[in-house]
Amino acid sequence: MFTEPEFPEPWELWIRATILHQFVQDNGAWLWPTLETLHFLGLSLLFATIGLFDLRVLGLGKAIPPGTLHRLIPIGIAGYAVNAVTGLVFFSGFPEQYFYNPAFWLKGTFMAIAGVNVAAFYLTRSFREVKMLPAGADAPFSAKLIAGTSLGAWTAVLICGRLLTFYRPPIFH
Amino acid sequence: MTPIEAAFDWVEQSPLSMWVRGESMLAFPLILSAHTLGMGFLAGISAGIDLRLLGLANRVPLSALAKFYPVMWLALVVSFVSGTLLLIGYPYKAFTNPLFYLKLALIAAAVYLVVRIRRDVLLNPGSQAETILRNGRLLAMASLGCWIGVIAAGRFLAYTYTWLLVGMPNNF
Repeated sequence: MFTEPEFPEPWELWIRATILHQFVQDNGAWLWPTLETLHFLGLSLLFATIGLFDLRVLGLGKAIPPGTLHRLIPIGIAGYAVNAVTGLVFFSGFPEQYFYNPAFWLKGTFMAIAGVNVAAFYLTRSFREVKMLPAGADAPFSAKLIAGTSLGAWTAVLICGRLLTFYRPPIFH
Repeated sequence: MTPIEAAFDWVEQSPLSMWVRGESMLAFPLILSAHTLGMGFLAGISAGIDLRLLGLANRVPLSALAKFYPVMWLALVVSFVSGTLLLIGYPYKAFTNPLFYLKLALIAAAVYLVVRIRRDVLLNPGSQAETILRNGRLLAMASLGCWIGVIAAGRFLAYTYTWLLVGMPNNF
């Protein structure tokens, strides 16, 4: 699965035929560090949201009613969107660098865990329970479990992202 | 070799420096991960507080946000220790890049603003007064600007260095 075939697969040839791929290939010198800067700013916004909201649910800064902190969620979503777009451009530029890279699939796995976790938060009674909590109140255990999973999963996503460079295939098409 | 180059060369030949640069696939990637994680929590939580001061989620009580400072200080320690190890690994690479000094200056400014925001705004007993809130908005904008600069400088460091090690220029 992580071994790069001798000749590019059809999906890779398709990506390599796109304008986006050519644009990244032609402008890498300035574009790549600029995209990385945006990707890091995006992750900081995501950590701004989870860092404050999840830690409050876990019991830090209990004087804050979690419902008031929930207004920061759009910032986290914006950060996630910036990283989804920049991530797509990274992948388009050097698809094999990611596809044949165990760190990439591990990162995706932790993103999926974070996604299921978010769904568990909003689709169960957890969200309503947490939103109603007044200042000083302790969150229920189920909500704390979700908040802890969120912090752990995003931390793992960040670490896998940082490890991408060290596990990419040695040969480029 | 000038005395300064000899000093950098001495650091680069030390066991700790060689451990950081080692082929183990362990030290360097893990130190980088810790550095980025520290950045995420420090710049992230600071930016979250800045956005509150700029009017977002404005029902969050200001004084309670001071409780998140220990997390930021822990993140700063992690960033500082991992950053120092990276510096021990590639001292000449960093110190011969003007961008590195800009990054350090911006970090100093950002940390100073984090302290000022806590003292002058979050824990100020008159924090509902309009003059203090206006000051808070200015500090928050400066803080966000500094963090954007720190992150941009940090990323561009990896692409703008002229020397990798003493006597070993960067050529790509």
